Amino acid sequence: MAPPPPPDLIDDAIVEILLRLPPDEPEHLFRAALVCKPWLRILCDPAFLRRYRAYHGDPPLLGLLHRLLLDGDSAPRFASTTSMPDFPHPGSDGRRTRPLDCRHGRVLVQMLDDDESAGYLVWNPVSGDWRAVPELDFDRATYTAAVFCTADGCDHLDCHDGPFHVAFVGSDATWHFLWASVYSSETGVWSTPVSLDNGRGFHIWPRRATLVGNEMYFTMTQHTAIIGKYIWVKNCLSVVEPPPQATNSRWVSLMTMVDGSLGLAGAYDSSLYLWSRKVNSEGAAEWVVCRIIELKTKIPMENPSDRASVVGSAEGVGVIFVRTGVGLFIVELKSERVRKVDEPGAYFSVFPYMNFYTPDRGSLLSIARAL
Amino acid sequence: MASAGSGDEKAAAAAMITLISSDNEKFEVTEATATLSQTIRHMIEDGCTDGGVPLPNVTSKILARVIEYCKKHATAAAGEEGSSSSFSDAAFLEVDRAFLEELEEFDDAFLEVDRATLFDLILAANYLDIKGLLNLTCQKVADSVKGKTPEQIREMYNIVNDLTPEEEAEIRRETQWAFE
Repeated sequence: MAPPPPPDLIDDAIVEILLRLPPDEPEHLFRAALVCKPWLRILCDPAFLRRYRAYHGDPPLLGLLHRLLLDGDSAPRFASTTSMPDFPHPGSDGRRTRPLDCRHGRVLVQMLDDDESAGYLVWNPVSGDWRAVPELDFDRATYTAAVFCTADGCDHLDCHDGPFHVAFVGSDATWHFLWASVYSSETGVWSTPVSLDNGRGFHIWPRRATLVGNEMYFTMTQHTAIIGKYIWVKNCLSVVEPPPQATNSRWVSLMTMVDGSLGLAGAYDSSLYLWSRKVNSEGAAEWVVCRIIELKTKIPMENPSDRASVVGSAEGVGVIFVRTGVGLFIVELKSERVRKVDEPGAYFSVFPYMNFYTPDRGSLLSIARAL
Repeated sequence: MASAGSGDEKAAAAAMITLISSDNEKFEVTEATATLSQTIRHMIEDGCTDGGVPLPNVTSKILARVIEYCKKHATAAAGEEGSSSSFSDAAFLEVDRAFLEELEEFDDAFLEVDRATLFDLILAANYLDIKGLLNLTCQKVADSVKGKTPEQIREMYNIVNDLTPEEEAEIRRETQWAFE
């Protein structure tokens, strides 16, 4: 019997090559798209792009949004971490804005009128599209929020136009009550708020929250640090003790570990510590140190009294953001490599934006479609 | 070697496959080597390999290289299977590590070929459906494309630019950042 007929070799081989161009520097894809029409057609083909995203898995880091400590709200800016220019921010028209979260290809932006909140935008920087989320009515002095995709069985590689939720937690001005509510893009309403008397005067330390399954975790503080937990599917609030060594610093970042557990990163004595919260079969939880990275030799300091502070993390791409007097740095967990991504500033919380940026847009797409 | 004609020897002989290149050269390989190719594996499963497997898309020069790759990686796969039961043994781990390093060195040396050969290897790996070889060769080309301008890529791989000057100018205007 004759062997199977050969497939269209040339095109197949080109697909296999283009598939392996790295997504963390989008310029490679855009340059390849200008080589010739067959390459352009492949690079704008939805089926190829689905395969491309699946091949690379976790979307790459494209840029950062910042919340500053002393200078109030930072300029409305999407700071690109690649060779791409910054995406135009919805606050570029002069309105005051505050980033609250980035997740699943979306940015949650709070719109401010003078100092009053005027609702929220769920913004997709790659397409420029945004959807409005109405203001919610409860007394909060400090707050944080999380935006996330709610499409069934989604791999979150290309879901930014689908249904989403916004989970919001706030602490009131007396610092005794916590509030929480969740918004659904499908119903267009916020859930009835749930409250918790934390009795200890803790208030929300408004940094980026993390999601572990259906649970949202966020940092709270008084003089020491504690972790708040909001199970949005049950509309239920509670608190979780941090690792004993981490209670004295508020400069910690919560994250989801590769094994799906809750993680916490903090810098102590010029070392970066990473804990994972292991829960046994009886439900008892214990924090385990899973990584210590020496920072002294890796991150430049401004002077002997300068300190390294953890200001965020990016799940999936495995990086921690660390601030010193010299600038903002990315610490890659896998390689322990460190690189500077921004100039010195009063960085309080860093919001990493991860997504694929592919050539299927503008003239490239219209020329490809005409082929 | 030529002593007792055991059953094992017969089984080994029976497990040989003949591959026939486009220029009619015959290559005898073990089934373990040949079945790194999914295309050949399916043909063996369907019982279509008697009298040899004609490969009209692969020249003898390229087929020899492909077989060289498959032999090395078939041995590696067999080695992995053999040691997996003792994976907790540090000595075996050390052997595995050394073997993987050797394999990596082999792959690096294997890729030291001119562009035409590399492209032929990709076409053969794609046609024969040899996942490891396809990944190795395509990644090499992708790495060589990285950081090059469209003009350099066209020149390297002999690609004709079929975009009109107007189309090219428009794209460059819109995505200038990618070309700086």
